[in-house]
Amino acid sequence: MTWKTKSTASPDSTTILRGLASRTRVQVGSPVYNALLETLYDEAAALDERRFDDWTAMLDAELVYTAPIRLTRTGPNRDRDVMRTMFHFDEDYGSIMMRTGRLQKSAWAEDPPSRCRRFVSNVRIGELETAGEYEVVSYLFLERSRGDNPENERLTAERRDVWRDVDGAYKLVKREVIVDQSVLGMSNLAVFL
Amino acid sequence: MLQKSSLTLSDGTTLDDLIMRDSNEVSLRVMTDKELYDIEMERIFAKTWLLLGHESEIPNSGDFIVRDMAEDNVIIARDREGAVNVSLNVCPHRGMRVCLGEAGNKPIHQCIYHGWAFKPNGDFIGAPVEREKMHGNDVDKKTLGLKKARVALYGGMIFATWNVDGPTFDEYLGDMKYYLDQLFCRTDNGLELLGPPQRFVIPCNWKVPGEQSGSDGFHTLTLHRSLMEGGIMGGTAESIYDQAPGMYGVDVSCEQGHSLRCLEAEKTFKMFADISFEGKSTVERLNLLTPPGITKEMIPQLFNNLSEDQVEQLATIPPQVGGMFPNILIAFIFAPRMDGGSSGALALHTYVPKGPDKVEFVNFIFAEKDAPEQMKRDMLQNSIQSTGTSGTIEQDDADVWPVIMRNARGGVSKHMTLKYKALHGHERPEGWKGGGLLYPGFTKDDTQWNWWLAYHKLMSEA
Repeated sequence: MTWKTKSTASPDSTTILRGLASRTRVQVGSPVYNALLETLYDEAAALDERRFDDWTAMLDAELVYTAPIRLTRTGPNRDRDVMRTMFHFDEDYGSIMMRTGRLQKSAWAEDPPSRCRRFVSNVRIGELETAGEYEVVSYLFLERSRGDNPENERLTAERRDVWRDVDGAYKLVKREVIVDQSVLGMSNLAVFL
Repeated sequence: MLQKSSLTLSDGTTLDDLIMRDSNEVSLRVMTDKELYDIEMERIFAKTWLLLGHESEIPNSGDFIVRDMAEDNVIIARDREGAVNVSLNVCPHRGMRVCLGEAGNKPIHQCIYHGWAFKPNGDFIGAPVEREKMHGNDVDKKTLGLKKARVALYGGMIFATWNVDGPTFDEYLGDMKYYLDQLFCRTDNGLELLGPPQRFVIPCNWKVPGEQSGSDGFHTLTLHRSLMEGGIMGGTAESIYDQAPGMYGVDVSCEQGHSLRCLEAEKTFKMFADISFEGKSTVERLNLLTPPGITKEMIPQLFNNLSEDQVEQLATIPPQVGGMFPNILIAFIFAPRMDGGSSGALALHTYVPKGPDKVEFVNFIFAEKDAPEQMKRDMLQNSIQSTGTSGTIEQDDADVWPVIMRNARGGVSKHMTLKYKALHGHERPEGWKGGGLLYPGFTKDDTQWNWWLAYHKLMSEA
C-alpha cells in the first residue's frame, strides 16, 4: 500500500463499503464453501482459546490485515464512511508475529487474559481470478469478558478476507475488518478480530 | 503560606482536603466524585484552551469537522475568508445538533428539526418561511448565531476556549512554547493529520489518563516492560531496573501544568547503532539521528523555523513525550521498525471527559507534510502499532486505568491517596537554554505534581 493524503471533508469513492466483489459465487453447502466455513470456525476457536501458534500457522506470509476507521456522515457523503486513511489495526505478517510474541511475555492488557467468544456468521464466498484464492466475507460478533466485570465488552464487524489454498489448507492473505462503531466501546484492541 | 481554595463540596470537603499540597497527595475520591466533575466542566473545560484537531483536516472553504470540548459538541469550519471557526453545535432554537455528520463540506449548516440555517462561521442566516419571522418577532438576527468559541491556531493545531476574556494562547503555553515549537513548528509546511482520529471509550475518569499525561516516565519500566523485552527501548528483560532505559534526561514543566520529557538522542541512538555524539556538530548529530518524522533532506528547514538553540536541543536532547494541561498527551517518539528503518511516530491524544466515569480517547496521528509518501505510510503504521486502540504500548495503559477507577469507588479505597513525594525540585542544568521548571536526572513526580497544582489553581477560581 502506498500513501496518498486524502481529504476527510471531501471523501472519494474508496470510502464506500462494498459487499462481495466477486461475481463467481461459491454456493452454500459446496465442498469449497464447507471447507472455508470450517476454516473460519477453526480460526475463531484458535483465537478464543488463545492458541496463537495455531492461529499464526493459518496466516500467509503476504498477509495484509487492517481495520479502517468508520465515520458518521450525512448528505451526499452518507455512504462514504469507511476511512481507509486511518486504522485501528494496520498490520502485516511481521507485525502480527510481533503482537503474538508480545502476548507470550509481559502484555498486561491480556494478562490476565480476557475471555472471548467470536461468533462468525453470514458467510458469503466468491472465487477470485487466481485459482485457489477466495473472497470470503463474514460477520463477526465479539463478546469479551474481562476480569470480574459482569458486563462484557462487545464489537460487531464485517470481515472481508482473501483466503488461499496452500497444499490443501487455507491461509489468510488479506483481512479488512469493517467495525460498526465510529467510537469503539472496547477500551483496547489487545485481541484480534 | 498556601492560598486557601474557594471550593467546598456539599459534604464540607474542601479542595485542599482532596489535593493535599502540604503532603503532595491526592485523594482517590477525585476520580469518582460527581459534584467535583460538574465543577471541572465549568472551571476547567469551559475555561482552558482545548485541542480539537488540525487545519489540514479542513483545507477548503466550507470544510468542517465535528469534535467535543468535554461534553459540548462543536462544529469546526473554514469560512469563505479562510478563517477557522469553532461554534457550539446546539441550535439556539430548540437545542438540536445543527450538524449531524463528523466531517464534510457545507456552505450552509441547516438544522434538520425546524430548518434554522447558519454560516460556517456560526452566523444565523434565517428560518424557513421568512415572511412569518419564525426566528421571533423583533429579534435581531445577529443575536441568533451559534455560540462561538475563541480560536487559536498553533502549528496548524486547532485550539479553542469558551473563556473569551481569559489568558491568551501564548499565556496558556507559557515557557513550554520554546519546547513545543521544536515538535509542532519546525518545518516549512508543517504537520498534517494522516486521517480522522481513532476514537474509543475507556471506563474511567478523565484525570486517570490526565495525571499520567503530566509526564509519568516511571511507569514505562514496569507497565511497558514489553518494550524492553522486545528490544525496542534498549536493554534486556533482565536488566530493566538496573539500566532503566529512557528514565534519565531533563523533564521540563511550567505552572500551567504542561510538561515534556527531553531524552538524550545519543542514548536513543545506542538502540540503533553504537556511535558517539561527542565532538559532533548540531548538523552532524541531526544527520546521524534525524528527529522522529524528519528526513535528512528536511534538516535545513529546521534552521528556517527554529532558533539555533532550539535546533541544538532537538539534535541533542529532544522533547519526546509529555502533555499539555488538562487533557493532551504528546508522543513524538523514535520508533525502530522491523524493516530496520526508524521513521518515528508522531501522535497526540486528547482525553475527553464523558461523565465522571467515562473518557473518550481521541488519537491524532501526524506526519510532516513534506515527508515522502513511504515515510508517511511507515509512520502511520508505527503510530497505530504502538499507540491508541490497538497500540502495543497503550493497550496496557487502557487495562490499568479502569481498574484504578473501580478502586476509587470503594468506601474505604476512595480515601486512599495518590502519592507524589518522589520530588527532585527545580534545578537548571548547566548550559540549558530553555525556560520553565527543570528537573534533570531520573524522571520523578515533579511534573505530575505541577499538573495537580495547575488543576488546583483552576478549580479554586470560581
